[in-house]
Amino acid sequence: MEDKKKRYGMLIDLRLCIGCHTCSVVCKSENNVPLGVWRSWVKVVEIGNYPHARQHFLPIVCNNCENPICVTVCPVWASFKRPDGIVYIDPHRCIGCRYCMAACPYGVRYVHPTKKIVEKCFFCHHRVDAGLKPACVLACPTGAICFGDLNDPESEISKALAKNPTQVIKPEFGTKPCVFYIGLDDSVVEAKKLSKR
Amino acid sequence: MEPQVLYNINHQEAFGLFIAIYFYLTGLSAGSFILSTLAYGFGLNQYKPLGKIGVVVATLVLVIAPLFLLLHIGMPTRSWHLFFYLNMSSPITWGSFLLILYPVNCIIYGYYMFRENLRFARIFGLIGIPLAIAVHGYTGFILAFGKARALWNTALMPILFLVSAVVSGIALMILISIIRDLLFSRERKVNTALIFNLGKLLAWMIVFDLFLTGCELAVLSISHSDAQEVAHILLTGKFSLLFIGLENLLGKIIPFIILTTPRLRSSFTMALASLLVVIGIFFMRYVVVVGGEFLPLL
Repeated sequence: MEDKKKRYGMLIDLRLCIGCHTCSVVCKSENNVPLGVWRSWVKVVEIGNYPHARQHFLPIVCNNCENPICVTVCPVWASFKRPDGIVYIDPHRCIGCRYCMAACPYGVRYVHPTKKIVEKCFFCHHRVDAGLKPACVLACPTGAICFGDLNDPESEISKALAKNPTQVIKPEFGTKPCVFYIGLDDSVVEAKKLSKR
Repeated sequence: MEPQVLYNINHQEAFGLFIAIYFYLTGLSAGSFILSTLAYGFGLNQYKPLGKIGVVVATLVLVIAPLFLLLHIGMPTRSWHLFFYLNMSSPITWGSFLLILYPVNCIIYGYYMFRENLRFARIFGLIGIPLAIAVHGYTGFILAFGKARALWNTALMPILFLVSAVVSGIALMILISIIRDLLFSRERKVNTALIFNLGKLLAWMIVFDLFLTGCELAVLSISHSDAQEVAHILLTGKFSLLFIGLENLLGKIIPFIILTTPRLRSSFTMALASLLVVIGIFFMRYVVVVGGEFLPLL
């Protein structure tokens, strides 16, 4: 199995998510994410009226798309897709033009306030390269996040994907996201709060 | 009941005021250049007084415009990366070469024009027209490739940008020729024949611009949910004052009425209408760039 091409992906079981924001916090600590910006966050949406109301949690990370629009529009190849599928940004190449931020349908990219380059979730590539799992996967108290090689039929994620009906966020953009969700509600993706400008 | 967002993060603005200003300036430059070539490229001699001021304005404005790009990007010292690491699928890569070729061609064209070498001025004028169209058209592609934003992701965007570039270019030329005639000409008298002629051209370009804006709005308002929301923001929401009031009413409809009413025709009203158009097109860029990314994506 060693020589086969890897394709990393993530599966988040929203039935298990309790909205504790641990993944966002551990991500900040693991990746030194500065104040005011997030590589991963949990969107919380309330649906229905009391007493028939429910809170939905949607943990969001970079989808590390199969067909990433950020790589298409980056003028200097700073954003590129690694052979294992992780969409990486070369911090020495990025000129901070923000075109990728304008084009990304998921809004997962941010400008580092002092480095002035664009950053995002890379599935904790430094941990993955060392044979570890991303920080959020290990930190999740309910084990809602599953990470692994989509091309390996024996991996935990491939088995879970084969067993469960899954969804991705905004499939209509044709980006082929590699972060899959179990139990994703349309209205949670659609619900928008106008950001304060 | 509508889903209530209890917690979400605020996303950073990708493009902002600086990019809007940049688009505005390249538009002014491309419009002025095209007017300048009417006489020296195509031989329409009634526009001859515009040739020299057109090329001077086009060059000056296009030298200022990329400075706003340098202010916008986070790492201006790395801008040489744009010429060494080429991703040909990105409109910014096309633009980095156009932003070199176009001003250089403008300077050569202007040089031959001022030396009265009409044959060479004509050749470089005609080379400059596709360059001028490309240097502004590519900015439309920048927005059109941002496929997540409903207001931008339309094939109409490059042509809408070009038409508004010509509108703002004609208006700027009217303003500058009036100022030049009043301050620097020997008789201190405005060339009314030329101004009225340009006014007529401007009026019909405004109609074309309004038509394209209407097309875009009509399609947005019945397209997918994000597009409908963007149309809502433009028509009744946060950008309605800028979009309807400043861009379309003050910047297009009122100047059109002034330009097409024979009783109102004088060099003062021409200057007023042109000033309104020049301001209105600035708000058009602002509404398209900042309004387009106002709606959060997730």
